[in-house]
Amino acid sequence: MAGSPPGADEASGRPVGDDAAVLARIAKRDEAAFRQAIDDHARLLHRIAYRMTGDAHEAEDIAQEAILRLWDHAPRLAAGPKPVRIGAWLTRVATNLAIDRLRLSKRMSNSEVPESADAEPLADAQMESEQTHDAARALIGALPERQRAAIVLTYYEELPNAEAAGAMDMNIKAFESLLHRARAALRVAFEHKEAAR
Amino acid sequence: MSGERFDFDPALKKALGENTVPDLPEGFADRVVAATEGRAPPLPQQRTASSRWRTSRRLAIGLVSAGALASAAAATGVLEELGVDLPSPQEVWSSITGAQPAPAPSPSPPASTAPEPVPDARAPVVIEGPIDTPEELEEAFRRVDQRREERVDTRRSRVDQRIGERIDARRAQGLPAPTQEQEERLSDRLDTVRENADARRAARIEERREALREDVEAGGEITRENFIEADRTRLRNLSPEQRRDRLRQWRERRQERLRRLESEGANASGSDPLRKEDDANPPSNDPNGSSQDPQ
Repeated sequence: MAGSPPGADEASGRPVGDDAAVLARIAKRDEAAFRQAIDDHARLLHRIAYRMTGDAHEAEDIAQEAILRLWDHAPRLAAGPKPVRIGAWLTRVATNLAIDRLRLSKRMSNSEVPESADAEPLADAQMESEQTHDAARALIGALPERQRAAIVLTYYEELPNAEAAGAMDMNIKAFESLLHRARAALRVAFEHKEAAR
Repeated sequence: MSGERFDFDPALKKALGENTVPDLPEGFADRVVAATEGRAPPLPQQRTASSRWRTSRRLAIGLVSAGALASAAAATGVLEELGVDLPSPQEVWSSITGAQPAPAPSPSPPASTAPEPVPDARAPVVIEGPIDTPEELEEAFRRVDQRREERVDTRRSRVDQRIGERIDARRAQGLPAPTQEQEERLSDRLDTVRENADARRAARIEERREALREDVEAGGEITRENFIEADRTRLRNLSPEQRRDRLRQWRERRQERLRRLESEGANASGSDPLRKEDDANPPSNDPNGSSQDPQ
């Protein structure tokens, strides 16, 4: 993805012009085009959602909902004045859906990590790790949801900062600041985890 | 996944790398495609303008549109489209006095098919020359009333018919149409509007007639010019917009008559009494106020 040619969709690697054609076909309710979009983008959306939520069912649900929203909005997107990159659009939708669900689950269970990386991130991360036996999951899960999204998009999905900022509806400066905090929080969490061994 | 942009410790990178993702389950695409069936359309995008401004703007657009439509209706001759003949002063005077009207064709084809009201042959009073007796005046009023009643009935029945046709057409096209109850309410409202219009017109006419009666009782004579002068006074009380509308309608009628006269080979050199009269009295109509009252 990082090696996609300029003007190509980050997810599928196809030129944006192809995206416009696919979008136009989806707008006309062409099932083959819709399936093509699913094949091209569903795995990416699923990965983002899974790494953010840590729940396979939730991730599948988010990926499905994002793609269905593409179906819903295809007529408007195809008729819009600016060309739309399907991958970028879907990434933004999936990221926002994942953030929304994390916030919702935090409100419902009150068992999530604190909003910001406080002085005791290790404790939460350690508990998460012990419960899930998945250290990597615990590290990511220890981050606030927006920091989590920043790491998932840039580290795992290798999106350029500008793309990731767009996916999170942020300007580049704010995103870089968020990413800086996320990296720092991740390091601290990892150091505490290592120290606790 | 690569860590070039992240100066993480290798151990941290390794730990992060263990965060693997399971594959998408089989049949995911089929499920998504199946889920598109019967999916509700998305809500419209949120508007960013404030609702108060939007409401005001709609009101302004509505008012301007209503004004434009009203002007357009007057300019394009909605009444003519309805087949309603707007008589010239000459025709009105002829109907009052019983004289034969000038041989001019009616301005619109539907009107030519409508039965032309004729003076009551059984009327005992014969109006000769100017109206100078109370009997002649009352007879003139009676004939005006008769003619007006016919015209109003024709106009209203055509309006009712047009409304019914529009409602039927909307039903046929599957568009929202008023229910029976709503139709009845609409009909009642229309009746109320018409009754109010009748009352206003009757009061206006009666006032004018009283003045004419006093003139006749005082030994005066009522000529066509008197009638027309009365209407000119009424015209002076119109707003500039109404006056412009009248003038536009008059010009259209005049053009239409000229075209008809020319097409029939009539002498268009100015000797035609109808043309002369129309030229002299541009926006004039029924001196008794019946010809252009809204129905």
